[in-house]
Amino acid sequence: MADKDPIRIGILFSETGVTSTIGLSQLQGALLGIDEINEAGGIDGRELVAVRYDPQSTPSRYAELAERLIVQDGVNVIFGCYMSSSRKAVIPVIEKWNKLLFYPTLYEGFEYSSNVIYTGAAPNQNSVQLAEFMTSNFGSRVYLIGSDYIYPYESNRIMGELVQQRQGSEKLAERYMALNATDRDYAEVMADIRNKQPDFIFSTVVGESTAALYRAYADAGFDPKTMPIASLTTSEAEISQMERGMATGHYTSAPYFQSIQSDVNLRCLARLRQRFDDCSVPNLCWEASYFQMHIFANALRQSGDESIAQLIPHILGSEFDAPQGRIKIDPANHHTCLYPRIGRVNAEGQFTIVRQATRSVYPDPYLVTHSLGDWAAKLDTLAV
Amino acid sequence: MNDRIATGHTLRVTPPQLKELRALKIAVIHPDDADGMQLTQQLQRIGCQVQAFWPPVQVLPAGIDIAFMAVRPDIIGLRFEWTQREDAPTVIAVVTYENPTIVDAVLALGAQAVLPSPVRSFGLLTALVLARETHKENRSLTRRLRKVEAKLLGARHLADAKSVLMKTHDISETQAYDLIREQAMSKRTTTEEIAAAIVHASEVLSLGGRRPC
Repeated sequence: MADKDPIRIGILFSETGVTSTIGLSQLQGALLGIDEINEAGGIDGRELVAVRYDPQSTPSRYAELAERLIVQDGVNVIFGCYMSSSRKAVIPVIEKWNKLLFYPTLYEGFEYSSNVIYTGAAPNQNSVQLAEFMTSNFGSRVYLIGSDYIYPYESNRIMGELVQQRQGSEKLAERYMALNATDRDYAEVMADIRNKQPDFIFSTVVGESTAALYRAYADAGFDPKTMPIASLTTSEAEISQMERGMATGHYTSAPYFQSIQSDVNLRCLARLRQRFDDCSVPNLCWEASYFQMHIFANALRQSGDESIAQLIPHILGSEFDAPQGRIKIDPANHHTCLYPRIGRVNAEGQFTIVRQATRSVYPDPYLVTHSLGDWAAKLDTLAV
Repeated sequence: MNDRIATGHTLRVTPPQLKELRALKIAVIHPDDADGMQLTQQLQRIGCQVQAFWPPVQVLPAGIDIAFMAVRPDIIGLRFEWTQREDAPTVIAVVTYENPTIVDAVLALGAQAVLPSPVRSFGLLTALVLARETHKENRSLTRRLRKVEAKLLGARHLADAKSVLMKTHDISETQAYDLIREQAMSKRTTTEEIAAAIVHASEVLSLGGRRPC
């Protein structure tokens, strides 16, 4: 291969279907990263070229397209996937051809593949902090609601165990909704919530039906000051799909919010706006998708070879000044050291950051029993 | 082949667990995807009699020895009646995830082995034989344990009954035992049952006051 040949990389984010809002933002994160790398001279003069397909939020399409990227397009590295089902569909393909997947999404943990780099939060980097915050401020009688798939099942198990470490705690219900659930489905849930009067609602509803949940909550006339929704998956992207003010007062735990006031984040957001006008909604998954591209590019500059065997040693242990702070890929478990934060949705649909980790929290994807009161669960207070 | 080892030991005999492979009736409860096909085909190569089912069934045909069961997020809330029965087939779970939610579901199924997805042909035969063997051993241990427990209870009843009779009839232990045995013979039942009846009656009538130990 000539020294100036472009380097093709595979991109698999859903641009259509039930998780397309997040998928599109992850796509923009990846493309912004690629632009920055190319503008800075590429990889030693070689341009990064994205080969991208739309898996349409369908796991079987993810598997087919991953295979196409590898076999027909000859890529060595793929960036993509959102729901666990999509990651699980792609991993056998990646492992079969011994290629590398960068996965920029929070997920339920209990996985390690030597062919995957995980740049989203593991439960010890978002659930514990959220449980600590919610039970300290609102109480520990919780109503659990999630989309009907593995991430919410496992997240609810963890949240249920965490709140039970408080006195007077109670798990009032554990509800699972179809990925395409509508306002009417959630109206019935709200009637049940009115009866049970939880201290807070824990939501792991994902995708386009998130808006329906918050709308049903607002229609029921509940007050976020006394019974807020706490979520791991309601980001700026989901809020942008709601009517203005609908999510105001509710909470989300994430390592990244658009409202982080660091120079790195502000500069990055400015470049994003320049590149995509105003049509993008940066969020935790966008940020992970953005910084993982730089992690890859930096490693490739060092290895000079895209094959996984050459690349991996330079990825593991590498650090990057991401918009959320200086992150690091853990060499032992391939997950990422991140900065847990708690945000409260404000009137502008952005997050007011009320708690924030001062140092990064090490990823622990195989932790079965999480504990409140752990140092990692305690965050610094920024706002009340 | 090392001749010395071959001749130095008794003749090797193929274990019955392997000989029975082709007689096994196997249910594959798995979607008809790459894993399901790999599973069915490999079992057919081994020579087992395979029947495929999906979606999961509440009732399995009679005589199934082993069931391969896909433990997927969408079915973990379901309970399958056939897994709870005493003569339930050996269950081997096929898993895509390894988080506590899924492991919990595997435990609830009473699985004896697990195959990870993507399913590979290699390893299936050994898993099959080991799971079957463990399951059989467990079942026979359970049966023996039950027998021993019944025996133990019988012996305790006998001792208690003798003691009741000795007290109420003012007789020796040998005489008490003879009484019980005579009753058992004339009623055509076991000494244990007669003993149990005596203990029961004595408890009901509070004849013996506190139970003798």
